[in-house]
Amino acid sequence: MTECPICGAEIAFAQGTVVGELLECADCGSELEVTGLDPAAVTEAPETEEDWGE
Amino acid sequence: MKVGLLHSLIRKEEKLLLEEFQVRGVDLTMIDDRNLIFDLESAPDVDVILERSINHSRSMYGLRLLEATGIHCINAAEVAKICGDKILTSVALKEADVRQPPVRIAFTEESALKAIEELGYPVVLKPAVGSWGRLLSKVNDRESAEAILEHKALLGSYHHSIFYIQKFVEKKGRDIRSFVVGDKCIAAIYRSSEHWITNTARGAVASGCEVDSKIAEISLAAADAVGGGVLAVDLFETSEGLYVNEVNYTMEFRNSIQTTGVNIPAHVVDFVLSQQP
Repeated sequence: MTECPICGAEIAFAQGTVVGELLECADCGSELEVTGLDPAAVTEAPETEEDWGE
Repeated sequence: MKVGLLHSLIRKEEKLLLEEFQVRGVDLTMIDDRNLIFDLESAPDVDVILERSINHSRSMYGLRLLEATGIHCINAAEVAKICGDKILTSVALKEADVRQPPVRIAFTEESALKAIEELGYPVVLKPAVGSWGRLLSKVNDRESAEAILEHKALLGSYHHSIFYIQKFVEKKGRDIRSFVVGDKCIAAIYRSSEHWITNTARGAVASGCEVDSKIAEISLAAADAVGGGVLAVDLFETSEGLYVNEVNYTMEFRNSIQTTGVNIPAHVVDFVLSQQP
């Protein structure tokens, strides 16, 4: 369990969560990136860059 | 076989691929491109790498640097280089005689305006490098053309002054996205939108599309033209037949599994595991 760095809501990881995974805060809708599993940690996901895509 | 996954952010697609590797008992080596330092000699202890980075520039250089150490990469660096650049893609399609909409490439505002007028309105201006339908401009008349060309030239980054101009194709509100894995076209979807841009990243709705012989033939030809591998091909339906709009080398498929009933990540993983170490 950790908390959203934007709104402070509790963030619980689902089973199988991996580092680098993108999550959405259920409270504020912010996109978060998982940066640690034990202890659980998230940061705000990076902004879209010009060369992102398929 | 030791498999590496070159990645940055783990999106829905990467999670689905991880699950398929896990089902097959493959112990993946996760390679986050944000942590990599290349010294032109040392290499990760893997036989094959599946590339899933979100940045085109990191993918292109990362794959080339990894290939230089003898690692087989999917897709190949050359495929990434071609598919990540609409100009190189158009050249590859032309050289392979694969149908595409008429295009012009110009290097100055003046020559670009001349090229647009020669092609005839409307046209679509696209950044040579870009995805998800970003910074596309449909140009309907000369006044718009002059304004957009000036804006692009002043955007600051030199590559916006390389003008890729495509004749606008009236596609009746949809295009086709087909999925090629190796020598098979495994699935296809229609992408429908009231907007002229039909990327699902821009809100287009996916629906099932049967892979008939025409779709399979041009999809495989397009994939072969850029070097082959795991690719998504975007097609326009026209009165003259199918045209290839672009070929994507780090394909997204989250909206296409239920729609098509095809387990796309399973096909990708099986293809990776079929490679000779």
